Amino acid sequence: MFAQQVVNAVMLGSVYAMVAVALTLSIGVLNFLNFSIPGLFMLGGMTVWALAHAGVPLPIAMVGALALAAAASLVVERFTWRRMRTSSPFVPLVSSMAFLLLFEHLAIAYWGSDMRVMPELLATGNWRFAGLVIGVPQLVGLVCSAGLIATLSLLLKHTRFGRALRTIAEDSETALMLGVDINRVAAAVFVVAGLFAAFAGILFALNYRQVHPFMGEAVGLKAIAAMIVGGMGNIWGSIVGGLVIGLAEVFAIRYFGADFVDIAVFGLLLFILFVRPTGLFRGMQIARAGI
Amino acid sequence: MSLELILELERVRKHFGGLSVADDLTFAVRRGSRTALIGPNGAGKTTVFNLVSGVFPLDGGSIRMNGVDITRVSSRDRIRHGIARTFQNVRLMPHLSTLENVIVGQHSRSGGWRGVLHPVNLVPRNRWREEARAALADAGVADYAHAAVGSLPYGVQKRIEVVRALMAKPALLLLDEPAAGLNPAETETLQIYLEKLAVESGLTLLIVEHDMHFVGALCRDVVVLSFGKKIAEGSPDAVRQNRRVQEVYLGGPAAKPVAPAMPEKAENRRAANGA
Amino acid sequence: MSGYFEGILVLLAINTVFAYGAYLPLAAGQLNIGLAGFAAIGAYTSAYLSNQFAVHPLIAILLGAILSGLVGLAVAVPVLRTRGIYLALATFALGQIIRAAILNLELIGGAAGYPVTDSIRLPAVLGFAVGVVVLVSLLFGTRFGIAVRAVQDDERVADLMGVEVRGFQIAAFGLGAAIAGIGGGLYAHQYGYIEAQYFNVGLSITIVLYVILGGTQTTMGPLIGATIFTLLPELLRQSASWRYVVFAAAVILLMALRPQGLLTRGQLERLFAWHHPRSPERAADRLTGHIA
Repeated sequence: MFAQQVVNAVMLGSVYAMVAVALTLSIGVLNFLNFSIPGLFMLGGMTVWALAHAGVPLPIAMVGALALAAAASLVVERFTWRRMRTSSPFVPLVSSMAFLLLFEHLAIAYWGSDMRVMPELLATGNWRFAGLVIGVPQLVGLVCSAGLIATLSLLLKHTRFGRALRTIAEDSETALMLGVDINRVAAAVFVVAGLFAAFAGILFALNYRQVHPFMGEAVGLKAIAAMIVGGMGNIWGSIVGGLVIGLAEVFAIRYFGADFVDIAVFGLLLFILFVRPTGLFRGMQIARAGI
Repeated sequence: MSLELILELERVRKHFGGLSVADDLTFAVRRGSRTALIGPNGAGKTTVFNLVSGVFPLDGGSIRMNGVDITRVSSRDRIRHGIARTFQNVRLMPHLSTLENVIVGQHSRSGGWRGVLHPVNLVPRNRWREEARAALADAGVADYAHAAVGSLPYGVQKRIEVVRALMAKPALLLLDEPAAGLNPAETETLQIYLEKLAVESGLTLLIVEHDMHFVGALCRDVVVLSFGKKIAEGSPDAVRQNRRVQEVYLGGPAAKPVAPAMPEKAENRRAANGA
Repeated sequence: MSGYFEGILVLLAINTVFAYGAYLPLAAGQLNIGLAGFAAIGAYTSAYLSNQFAVHPLIAILLGAILSGLVGLAVAVPVLRTRGIYLALATFALGQIIRAAILNLELIGGAAGYPVTDSIRLPAVLGFAVGVVVLVSLLFGTRFGIAVRAVQDDERVADLMGVEVRGFQIAAFGLGAAIAGIGGGLYAHQYGYIEAQYFNVGLSITIVLYVILGGTQTTMGPLIGATIFTLLPELLRQSASWRYVVFAAAVILLMALRPQGLLTRGQLERLFAWHHPRSPERAADRLTGHIA
């Protein structure tokens, strides 16, 4: 029924929101559309599966997956954004696409292309509330995403690091003159984005229990729609965007069938790109104080 | 049609945010003349070029070319009205050879869809290539026909840019600081070339320039701008002796804008400066 | 000719055609990462026509290409109003929509895939590939090529020179879509079976990457890129996935070290020096000396 669908949509939406935040952070601060982020989403999910499958306790598996994603992000940064200043802006985008391909096929090479099922690790119990069913994993996921995103906002608003990010987002030349170490900050942005994406992948693995090397394309890329809907560079917009896409997806499945999902989600993306590409909210908000 | 005035700006207004770059600007260019547009930095000279060539739409007023109101004509079609231009920082296509850059200039004359399929780069001798080569030779840069433009000396690039503009067979050529960055010998060569061009083809030149020696040698008409308004016009001598002009360059009451200055936002200044 | 070599040649031919499908918009400065969607339109149209109406495969492939070209033109008009990143994303969304739409059409197999009954042989496949390479090379030798490359270099100035920037971008996009449609048709009639899952964004990205690898400055670049992508893994005898890993790593390294791709104009000219090399001393004279 309707309310239950909304709950499901919120769950899915929070996954999209986290990946969208990763994307929007890269675009807002570094002006760089990072196509490798869906790949990091997949790496997070598949690594946590691989480790859990091998008997590693869940918390350690999660840390392992996050660490791998962080390391992978730094590699991406070295070979994409670092090179950006020397040639056309096309180049880092293209490199990031190559990284997506790289991660996908490395995953296939190591783990095969089949879909894998996560063992049941979190307490299964359902929380019943006003006739709605919310799985414990779902609730945990929701709380975690909300918490992480809130932490990020606070960080951006109140710390020196956050100020540095906002300065770069506003005007990178001025930032340089003010002595901001752009390379260090950029590396940090990549790592944060990678961690968010990987964490979303872990959440997805824990909640939906299916992982496969193409989940970056199947799920992660939809977060691009969420980012655009919410406005590039706008973190709260990404959250709203994630929810919108989650809703679109859940209702498309309910009323039109699973095959219609992509048409609904990407149709919406296309529509927004034509009509209001800056998104529902004013874009590039990272620069302004009120994130 | 031979109206005496080839280009007329009437009460032209343009602003970026609170910054007014063209402020009720009115002046005209005589057909066949070599007219200089001068003024201190920020006076709005390149803006005038951007308005005349259609890069920016006007906020008010009108522009007439050959008696025709071109205020609403798109930037792409202005070349067909006889307006061609060069740029302050040379803007040749970096991945095209010199010859190909010049051939781009012919595009507006090349005749629609059939013209697009003309095998300019396949047939070694064809009229378009010959025309381009001849024009390059006229400008003294024929040797560079197949060179990659990015590696050429600055003075050579500037002349190639002029040739490219000429390929459209314009009636009015806008030259944005043609002598900037050139040494005295190159400047003189350029001046002789432009003079010959104007005399032989009846082309009208409108030149934005800071090099007053160059202006004095080449131009008989000068228009002086300051803060988006015309403050003087006449022969180079007359303008040099004009008191307001002197104040504007050396500092004095006329050096301040008339309207109360609004805090100049960096982005507005950038918008005004970039095409 | 042994089956193995024939298989490689076919793959090379199809990859080459796909490469030129990506090259056309790239030459006008546009990134089309929904290319696989247009390949799919060509593939499914061609398959359907030959399955249902017994249209000869060669004609069916051409018809499929015409349809994908028309769809490309139709969507180019709104899509090309967006710019830069937005444009790339719009093409991405488009490709996903086309693929999803095909998945939903039971008429052509839906998720189960669609078998193709008529097949074509190696000479025909090679013929199409050679035809595409020759036609694109000829086209780029015309004023079209100069205009498109001018647009790629500097849209603003091209516009001021009277070049119909949007017109050329739309034409390049539509033509690229049509060529991708040919590739799709060749694929369908060669391998006898097509499924929408194949025509995904990974395919579009892969094609774009090997075109950029070869270099987008010359019309031979896409051929070089397709050749390397097809042949190198065969030489290394890698399994399918490792081939992509090596390829992706190679592209990343190339973008870091030599972003203009493997073949640039300068190199092509040095290879084929059919005009006089310029002489610097005479040039210096001209600069300060008399003008005729």
